[in-house]
Amino acid sequence: MRLFQLVTRKQIQRYNYYGKRRRSKRFVLNHLKFVDLSYVGHNHNSVPCRYSKQLFSSVLCRTFNVKSIHLFAQKKNEHILVEWLLIADKGDFSGKNLSQMSNVANSTNIMWHDCPIQKQDRQQLLQQKGCVIWLTGLSGSGKSTIACALSRSLHSKGKLSYILDGDNIRHGLNQDLSFRAEDRSENIRRIGEVAKLFADAGVICITSLISPYQKDRDACRALMPKGDFIEVFIDVPLHVCEARDPKGLYKLARAGKIKGFTGIDDPYEPPSSCEIVLQQKGSNCKSPSDMAEEVISYLEENGYLRA
Amino acid sequence: MTTAKALRQPCYAGIFRNIECGPSPAAESLGFPKLRGINVTGLHCGRRGLVLVLRAKSKPIRAKENASVSASLIDDWFKPITAKEDSNAEDRTSSFSGKNLTQMSNVGNSTNIMWHDCPIQKQDRQQLLQQQGCVIWLTGLSGSGKSTIACALSQSLHSKGKLSYILDGDNIRHGLNQDLSFRAEDRSENIRRIGEVAKLFADAGVICITSLISPYQKDRDACRALLSKGDFIEVFIDVPLHVCEARDPKGLYKLARAGKIKGFTGIDDPYEPPCSCEIVLQQKGSDCKSPSDMAEEVISYLEENGYLRA
Repeated sequence: MRLFQLVTRKQIQRYNYYGKRRRSKRFVLNHLKFVDLSYVGHNHNSVPCRYSKQLFSSVLCRTFNVKSIHLFAQKKNEHILVEWLLIADKGDFSGKNLSQMSNVANSTNIMWHDCPIQKQDRQQLLQQKGCVIWLTGLSGSGKSTIACALSRSLHSKGKLSYILDGDNIRHGLNQDLSFRAEDRSENIRRIGEVAKLFADAGVICITSLISPYQKDRDACRALMPKGDFIEVFIDVPLHVCEARDPKGLYKLARAGKIKGFTGIDDPYEPPSSCEIVLQQKGSNCKSPSDMAEEVISYLEENGYLRA
Repeated sequence: MTTAKALRQPCYAGIFRNIECGPSPAAESLGFPKLRGINVTGLHCGRRGLVLVLRAKSKPIRAKENASVSASLIDDWFKPITAKEDSNAEDRTSSFSGKNLTQMSNVGNSTNIMWHDCPIQKQDRQQLLQQQGCVIWLTGLSGSGKSTIACALSQSLHSKGKLSYILDGDNIRHGLNQDLSFRAEDRSENIRRIGEVAKLFADAGVICITSLISPYQKDRDACRALLSKGDFIEVFIDVPLHVCEARDPKGLYKLARAGKIKGFTGIDDPYEPPCSCEIVLQQKGSDCKSPSDMAEEVISYLEENGYLRA
């Protein structure tokens, strides 16, 4: 079988990112113009090649599978990756927004692998919507307790949930991170990425960590599709958390043995636009089960507990 | 385990002596940092600490007789909550469930983190899904068909009503591991992180299919040690190098031969075939099976060993 075949201008016009035919020739041409033609490989000093008619006329097409086509241009006996057009349009995780072989952050030559079993199929199997319930609040506000109560309630309804506790993750995935400022942000980023994977698997993922800065929480929200990130703010005043002090950390922080403790040395930014606020002010003290039921009623109202 | 053992023993002694002398003299006499002393004091506030106090108070006279008696008493008291020492994997499993942690942990670079246990455990989730959470670790050269077999396996499991999820090494580099490059230590970190995430998925009851080259036996054994015995199923896709190079689905072998990619597995870097994996999917000579057939081979292994029922 011939791997390469010459693609005429007419054939090029038929394909774009979403597999739809376009009448406008300018559309495809303009798209190709904006592509940064650079070498594929570890050569980080990419040499851009200007678009020209001559280059366009010698574009080769190498078909890998039905869903994606790689376009190579020939220049001085070397093949330059021009465009990777995705024909399939299957959800946000299928890499439809990737326009060429990826060079994400520090890695080169990695391609997104699509799979026929998608998130919708897994949600249909589990009869639930995969999402992330992000519990945020001060230390001692009851995040882990509410997470456990929520997990128990969801399990009694037959829904699959999983708790990503910030402290537990530090025993495993994030055991190489300390409590420095950049390591804290990396801790939140990694938990956000893992939560995204769990949500993609169809699981209701309950994350339980302080995540004091709005910037980090917004970065995690941006990872997920719209509606898959449910931010729950456990609004407990600082003096109540300090009076509880279930892990003895506030006492250590007041004694100066813990530096940069959230609420004492470092600030906590309450969420400005979260989905749920669980308040515990004054005499209005609800039990963890009641607060978990409040979250579950939100899930039911918005259709997360059915596929 | 040696480090953990060394850490635990002085703390027990500190707990015991602290009852007689008080926090400050205990810290000074034992040569601990003051943080340890306060940790010991903090234990009294918890429920388990109260139990320790009661037990200690009930036997003060016997403990004062000699050190060996106090040592044996300490061992006897903490025996039910101490993890097994003979099996390293078992110890890690215990540390994952959190049942055997007796005090605030200092794991890795973090301090003052405690393990939170939850009543909904792995068994409950497996009962809900009617399957056993495990990790199917596909290993093989680039171009050997790991991703194709992973997709076929996921499709077959889905048609049987089982929940599975694919952790593709390249896909994870778009998200969780986007801060890692292809240096040697970053490759090991890539495998470690995928192993940790696979462990989380297996704990959630999902059949996790990992698809990455993982060329070194040391890294694969480290990932196997993270999980319980029997939860790690290593699948070796045995395809010769020349077949992979002839396929070259991503065009990487050509780039590596041309010298544009350094340290490519199979050309510049070695690949260590697994010496004791659970399944070997061979594609040698004319015996060329389809991805569906190889996926069915894996599924028959899962059915024989009871992974597809709770």
